[in-house]
Amino acid sequence: MQPKHMMEGYRILDFTQFLAGPTTTRLLAEMGAEVIKVELAPAGDPTHQLPHRRAGRSGYYIQQNRGKKSVCVDIRNPKGLALIKELIKSCDVLLENFSPGAIARLGLGWEVARQINPELIMCSISAFGQTGPLSELPGFDYIAMAVSGVMDMIGDPDQPPYFPMLGIGDVSAGVHALAAINAALLYRYKTGRGQYIDISLLDSYFHSHEINVQAYSGSKGKIVPRRSGHHHYAAAPLGLFKCRDGYLFMVVMARQWVPLCKAMGRDDLVDNPNYDTNAKRVQNRLEIVAIIEDWLRNYDRDDALRLLQDMHVPVAPVLSVPEAMEHPHLIEREVVRTIHDRGYGELQIPGIPLRFSDFPEPLDLQAPYLGEHNREVFSQFAGVTIAEVAALEAEGVLVSEPLPAGVATVASA
Amino acid sequence: MMQPKHVLDGYRVLDITQYLAGPAATNLMVQMGAEVIKLEIGPHGEPVRNFPFCRDGRSGYFIQQNRGKKSLCLDPKTPEGLDIIKQLLKHCDVFIENFAPGVVGRLGLGWDVVREINPDIIMCSISAFGQEGPLAAHPGFDYIAQAYAAVSDLIGEPDRAPSMPMLAFGDVGTGVHALTAIGYALLERARDGGGQWLDISLLDSYFHYHEVSVQAYSASGGKVQPHRSGSHHYAVGPSGIFKAKEGHLMILALLHQWSPLCRAMGREDLIADPKFVDNDARMVNREEMIAIIEGWLQTLPSDAAALAILEGARIPCAPILSVPQAMAHPHMIERRTVREIDDRLLGKFKIPGMPLRFSKYEVDENIQAPLLGEHNAEILQRFLKYPPEQVRDLENRKVLFSKPV
Repeated sequence: MQPKHMMEGYRILDFTQFLAGPTTTRLLAEMGAEVIKVELAPAGDPTHQLPHRRAGRSGYYIQQNRGKKSVCVDIRNPKGLALIKELIKSCDVLLENFSPGAIARLGLGWEVARQINPELIMCSISAFGQTGPLSELPGFDYIAMAVSGVMDMIGDPDQPPYFPMLGIGDVSAGVHALAAINAALLYRYKTGRGQYIDISLLDSYFHSHEINVQAYSGSKGKIVPRRSGHHHYAAAPLGLFKCRDGYLFMVVMARQWVPLCKAMGRDDLVDNPNYDTNAKRVQNRLEIVAIIEDWLRNYDRDDALRLLQDMHVPVAPVLSVPEAMEHPHLIEREVVRTIHDRGYGELQIPGIPLRFSDFPEPLDLQAPYLGEHNREVFSQFAGVTIAEVAALEAEGVLVSEPLPAGVATVASA
Repeated sequence: MMQPKHVLDGYRVLDITQYLAGPAATNLMVQMGAEVIKLEIGPHGEPVRNFPFCRDGRSGYFIQQNRGKKSLCLDPKTPEGLDIIKQLLKHCDVFIENFAPGVVGRLGLGWDVVREINPDIIMCSISAFGQEGPLAAHPGFDYIAQAYAAVSDLIGEPDRAPSMPMLAFGDVGTGVHALTAIGYALLERARDGGGQWLDISLLDSYFHYHEVSVQAYSASGGKVQPHRSGSHHYAVGPSGIFKAKEGHLMILALLHQWSPLCRAMGREDLIADPKFVDNDARMVNREEMIAIIEGWLQTLPSDAAALAILEGARIPCAPILSVPQAMAHPHMIERRTVREIDDRLLGKFKIPGMPLRFSKYEVDENIQAPLLGEHNAEILQRFLKYPPEQVRDLENRKVLFSKPV
């Protein structure tokens, strides 16, 4: 039978909250895996409260948790813990992003989990990793970004650094985790063996240094990587340029210098010995930036863009989020897509970045309500009757929020 | 079965990618034990063989991304070169390329051809904007896709030009996205059989990072306008970069961490102050809040003292380390987040560590980045049964290329 998507048949037990871990399991759900999101009683994933909210629903939570099944459990209660241990028996992957050590204190560390299910793949995601001097410290995306030497590389040299207003580190660590889990699944397919994976935001951020680490080390400290504002410190022209009504980003490497000069009507610059190599252009960067911005002063952003694109100069308008969301390319490829949540209504979120030729259609997914799948999951996988689930809910071991009037539960596949 | 050397032992990848995004994907595959044949275009091969830092003609940039790969350098525009590639495709699990969309098809290696040669192969194309759509034909690098993805616009002061990060997280991130797509396609193939084609782009990967802005702008009907806001977050706080006694500190005291921060500063009076009582109030009075925190930081003898107090109160905080400082940090060294390698020509130097950590395997640190065409003879002998004299003949006739030390 044709599976509905790549990962149909795989079951994931997902303790993660906030962003990094939920990114991993969101992508798994979008690829057809069955994701059981274990939310901690009584309130569940803290992102239920994050903006933007409507009808008691968080757009933030919806974006990260579509297609998952929610069970809400008090795992400090022995009955709750016993239910979770039953679920571990039938899951392929267990994922968590508590502070290091917390999952073991809950009684669900790797040593326990592997005893319950020797084929299990367990993945922990943390800010700094499971070992080392920093591992115990609390951490979020920007904390790891600061320690990784990445934040120091953003901004003007004589000013404090900046950080980007988006969670690059969390999403990236989530994708790194997805890659590691996949490799472990491939390995298990051949050998039948599970294993434990340690993913951190710090590792993922540091992994993004393509030049800085080797250049500083290889040059024995002669090249000191530093933030340099709107223009790159090692290549030119490469940076942001001001037009009449906005900004363009240009990447002009060796081959593109001549077309750029021609686009500006400045063929005289082509043979100018001050600019004929990248090293000289870096040295005379300020002059070059002035020449280009002087030319751009007479152009609106989108007119200059077309001129430069016609000359095959790598160039982009610096789009705002609303502009990007309206761009025909992003719409045509569903880089931005519109979804419909049962409670919240219509909402735009980023598209799925993994495109498979055999599975071109996205799955129709809904974000769960808190504890929506207590009954289904525990009766199916933990041998508990519906009546027992109801009793556990009355006792507070399990929690579920009532579905609003008119909202139907998502039927199991 | 024999104990494999790592999780991807036994998989073979034909890698015609260059620069950074594609090589980052195959770099991770090599470190997980896959055999990667790096197919370089003759006569010069991978352009980053000349990227800084270079010493004696050897590039640290190239080494970082290409350790453990085998180099086969040929001219794919010659019939014999193209034939070699087609023969090799029969022996590979994965074919990965990052030319501009359409180029690989014009070389005679489009998906329609490749799938005919090997119906079980996973082909992955990486590009700036994706294989189709209005922007597909435009040339693109990391920062170009970053600008289109509305990421550049969210970095810097609101009233000034945006600022650019001095590292290419888009390329590396796209490489990791490609790695996941390839890996899951391999997993699906193991069960259901058959290959497929993957379309991975920098634009998709960058846009995928928007955790708040897209849904908040959309759902609020435009009332929430995502914007860059300098060194402090526009929507939550305290969350930002604070001037301390010596340098700058990143401090994140969200929601339940506000009270411990007030106590750590000896300012219990602020906890119930209506100006700061919740996130909304703190955002309205953001400047005053920042001034209070920075004022407190100035009263401390050092940044280390501030960090000790904040860490003691379990408030997420960090020094903003420079690259050299990060490379010298004991945590990074202990976990080998930064590691020293020893290249046959360039010698010893440091690169970022392997970010995927498996309990069953250590990373093999003895792998070497290849010389141009170093493995021509080995690969053609092993898979195509070419005798050494035939390889020499092809090198003489400029179908194959190599650059001896």
